[in-house]
Amino acid sequence: MKKTFLIKGLALLLAMGAMPALAAQGTVLRNEKLYSQPSATSKVTATAAKGASVTILAKRGGWLQVKSGSSSGWIRLLSVRAGAGGLGGAGLGDVVGAATTRSDPSRVVAVAGLRGLDDEDLKQAKFDGAELARMDAWDASAAQARSFAARGGLAAANIAALPEPRPAQQPSTWEAN
Amino acid sequence: MKTRAMQIKALVLAVALGLSGGASAIDFGKLLEERLNQELNKNKQPPAEQTAPPAAQSAAASPPPENQKIDARQLGFALFGDYSPEEEARIGRQISGNLLGAVPLVPDDKLQNYVNLVGNWVAAQSGRSDVKWRFGVLDTEDINAFAAPGGYVFITKGLYRRLGNEAQLAGVLGHEIAHVTKKHHLKVLKQSSLIGALGQAASKKAKDSDQVVQNLIGNGAEIMARGLDKNAEFEADRVGIVFAARAGYEPWGLPDVLQDLAGLPAKDARTGLLFKTHPHPADRLAALGEAVDGRLDAVQGKTLADRFYRIK
Repeated sequence: MKKTFLIKGLALLLAMGAMPALAAQGTVLRNEKLYSQPSATSKVTATAAKGASVTILAKRGGWLQVKSGSSSGWIRLLSVRAGAGGLGGAGLGDVVGAATTRSDPSRVVAVAGLRGLDDEDLKQAKFDGAELARMDAWDASAAQARSFAARGGLAAANIAALPEPRPAQQPSTWEAN
Repeated sequence: MKTRAMQIKALVLAVALGLSGGASAIDFGKLLEERLNQELNKNKQPPAEQTAPPAAQSAAASPPPENQKIDARQLGFALFGDYSPEEEARIGRQISGNLLGAVPLVPDDKLQNYVNLVGNWVAAQSGRSDVKWRFGVLDTEDINAFAAPGGYVFITKGLYRRLGNEAQLAGVLGHEIAHVTKKHHLKVLKQSSLIGALGQAASKKAKDSDQVVQNLIGNGAEIMARGLDKNAEFEADRVGIVFAARAGYEPWGLPDVLQDLAGLPAKDARTGLLFKTHPHPADRLAALGEAVDGRLDAVQGKTLADRFYRIK
């Protein structure tokens, strides 16, 4: 499970503040501010334009510490995409991806017959009642889930639903499917 | 509303009683399709009171041909508002059983139990108590997650392996739970069942099938292969991140996973289906960023990396 270690290593690097040599690349997804601390109440140190390349140095909660040109600071996690694929669409390989897939165990498994799921696998699938019965048996009760949450120190929080970003727009067009 | 429902019932009756063959059936199918589209879009546009198309009556009056079998219940699913919780559960069972026919569950009861506890806790924040939630880890290196109506949620072993803490699992499950609470698959089925029923009405090769649900969902787990509208995916991200946060997790679990997926190389056999059926992770991050902005800045949640169950 070399890959798992690589991922854990990367996650750790991101979490703890990676060494610059191993830092991941990213692209800014919208015009944003860079802050001196991972908090929107801290001082704004610079701005980053949509499409700008950044080097991701560290991660803390919903914030990434990035270097963009000569400036650096903390930017919202959701305002950056990791990887060198640019703004979206056709994401090409990148530092993180190459590092994590170098010794891809699924490639080995694929030879043994296990591979990715494709359309045909799903379309040709025949109902498996025995597996479904297994799944039904795992059902956890609400009480069990509550006590599991309590053991982890999780408490239900009152958080408002997020608004739709473009309220004027029509909802999903199922006709397009 | 009552008169509308009665008009529609008359239409269904017209179809159920049968259509005269050939061109007239196709014309009628077209007419019906338009009428049904109005019905489906009634939430989008203010419902202008419609009078039943005159052809409906004439079709209803025509004699039923012998070998024309239209499943009235299937049409009923499509036409009359929401599916009942029982119908939803039946549909979900069929789809899930089919999916499990393509790929079985990981034979690790501790793993499955853990995922069910996290999933049920997150689902408890969703406000839908009329479904029985069940979670399963699928034994494939493919990187993906699925949901089916009626509260069935799946994550592949390939995706699970990439997770680093419980908040990330909660984020992924939250996204799938949102597909169920928002009834995204049912909306797709509603649309396709119309097409299917109309297809049957228009062609004389209607199959003699008593499997209403199987007719509705198509072959195998086809709906999983087709995927959902991209706006449904954006919505599930938006709703799912809040479910996870309401469960006490830090909200950044799902964004973490999207960041990881955004970094995967484009040509990876394990993500073929995921990328085919979802918007690019970068687009999902951007859309979620617009919705979240600073709204979750004050949320303090847990990641619970220590408790996260690792697959051997």
